[in-house]
Amino acid sequence: MAFRQHILDSEGFFGPYGGCFVPEVLLPALEEMQQGFEALKEDPQFLSEFHQALHQINGRPTAFTPLPRISAAIGGAQLFLKNEGLNHTGAHKINHCIGQALLAKRLGKKRIIAETGAGQHGYATAAVCARFGLECTVYMGKKDYERQRPNVYWMELLGATVVAVEDGSQTLNDAVIAAFKDWVANPTSFYLLGSAVGPHPYPAMNTFFQKVVGEEIRSQCESLTGRLPNACVACVGGGSNAMGMFFDFLDDAEVRLIGVEAGGHGKQPGEHAAKLLDGQPGIFEGYYSYFLQDDGGNISNTSSVSAGLDYCGVSPILAWLADAGRVEFERASDEAALAAVQRLAREEGLIPALESAHAFAYAFELAATLTPADVVVINASGRGEKDLFITMRHFQEENLLAYARHLLQHQSQKAFAV
Amino acid sequence: MNFPIMAHLVMGYPSLAESLRSAEQYIASGCRILELQIPFSHPTADGPVITQACREAVEREQTRVEDCLDLLATLRQRYPEQEIMLMSYTNRIYHFGLKKFAAALLSLGVKHLIVPDLPVDSPIARQLEGITLVPVLAANVGEERLARLIDMDFDFYYLMSDFKITGSTFSLHPQLARVIAAIRTGAPQARIGIGFGISTPEQVRVVAQHADVAIVGSALIQAQQRGHLSQTLQTLVGYSAS
Repeated sequence: MAFRQHILDSEGFFGPYGGCFVPEVLLPALEEMQQGFEALKEDPQFLSEFHQALHQINGRPTAFTPLPRISAAIGGAQLFLKNEGLNHTGAHKINHCIGQALLAKRLGKKRIIAETGAGQHGYATAAVCARFGLECTVYMGKKDYERQRPNVYWMELLGATVVAVEDGSQTLNDAVIAAFKDWVANPTSFYLLGSAVGPHPYPAMNTFFQKVVGEEIRSQCESLTGRLPNACVACVGGGSNAMGMFFDFLDDAEVRLIGVEAGGHGKQPGEHAAKLLDGQPGIFEGYYSYFLQDDGGNISNTSSVSAGLDYCGVSPILAWLADAGRVEFERASDEAALAAVQRLAREEGLIPALESAHAFAYAFELAATLTPADVVVINASGRGEKDLFITMRHFQEENLLAYARHLLQHQSQKAFAV
Repeated sequence: MNFPIMAHLVMGYPSLAESLRSAEQYIASGCRILELQIPFSHPTADGPVITQACREAVEREQTRVEDCLDLLATLRQRYPEQEIMLMSYTNRIYHFGLKKFAAALLSLGVKHLIVPDLPVDSPIARQLEGITLVPVLAANVGEERLARLIDMDFDFYYLMSDFKITGSTFSLHPQLARVIAAIRTGAPQARIGIGFGISTPEQVRVVAQHADVAIVGSALIQAQQRGHLSQTLQTLVGYSAS
């Protein structure tokens, strides 16, 4: 089956999944976006502008890095990572932000709305808005606002307005809803959505803007190893980095594609964010896909140490690919993700984002079942600096508290001096 | 004659029994149409008042779709002639079963259903056999889209007063006149309701100049919370259009 062509030509449906389930008031904006995107994806001038921006702003292509020490220690497959953390602003998110911002400019938009979980999409959106002269408002669940504080600061420094959403569980889902409500009130704004989720055209559009990741992996892997990977592994929250990595390989049946969901701290509802493993089909936030929900169709709370995976839904494209058996799904727990961060730091000198660490955690298990003749590529979708306060609290809580006490003491001394 | 009011409430808030009492109060004060909302954990198009009511009805009261249908059955038994519309987000009725839900409504004398996140011409909407969906339109609906909707023969149009979420301050978007004129010409039999942000008799008076029904939601929930539902109903419903 030609998965790639189907996605590009889908008009919003991937098998039964996808669609455009939004209030009528948003249909004009989505139709304008659909038509704009249809025109751009075939437009050589746009494509060259897009790829030039990916190169000039982002420094693409990003590195493709062997993990010799960990591979040797495991004694199974040869591991490689695609370092999307080297993108400007620290994650793959900026790929689709540049694409959507260029589209917004073409449509004459002046104001951008975005949601963010870990803050990576918001940070990237704020950066491209500053660069392209667009006004920017980012919604972020209050819990994420607190736990991903460095990214809040960067967004504000870049001139964005960051709104901490106090509704519900105060995580990504609530940020998405707040962004949609802003859009209903301001339908001439452009909603720069941060994953391969949401109503048509977002799933296909963000996949289109992210597919450069897999295209680079293909050529980098071939030139380094002379072959295609046996398996590609990516973490899955909404699915943007996974679709970016997987898309180019969808029609290469010999390449296993594995999505790793957030196993959180347990298997009960509310303790994880594994929607393809434990969710049911439903219609929410504009699209038909798998969601974590109860038997009555109410959306469940989720939990993950990584804010970027802490979300109830998943790309309708991944739902379709899961049903088709083309993409396999696994889970990694909070603990396993934290352990993977530490292992990569100590043994390879790399600090991945907690989101990406889920992919590593599973890939280490997988590698042990394979042989050194096998090649496994992991998408390191983001770098870990943003997780400073989470990982430091886990690995060095005393040092973090000592630093906080130091800052407070310094401030009170300053107050006395005045 | 009083100007027709469509009065909204969230079933199961603050409890199932109390929402039934509110509904009876609405009817007793002369509300022309009841709009009963099935609570959903994440009402994506509602403002803070209705969102909070939904959350409590779901989390604290554990209100199920079945409970809502029971409430509806009780009302229907007591008020066989009362016009009632149901409102739900897609996922709740999708999970219940769209065909089963449609059949249940029809058996209880309810023909109209408002689903804010389900475009009325979506293939999924066709599973709601026998039900007439209510398009919820705003001033930005395109000419072609509006013509297509009018061709689909809806008999009630719900217009958003302006670009906002429910329970915001009231304003009437100037471009709504264009939408109203097109509906009046293309579907002269259809009724037009205007809602979003209506809380005072003055606002009902403004709506009465353009529409057939004023839709009130958040303001009634707030009145109920503050213990002055009957006064609020009296002021709003008692307003005479003449």
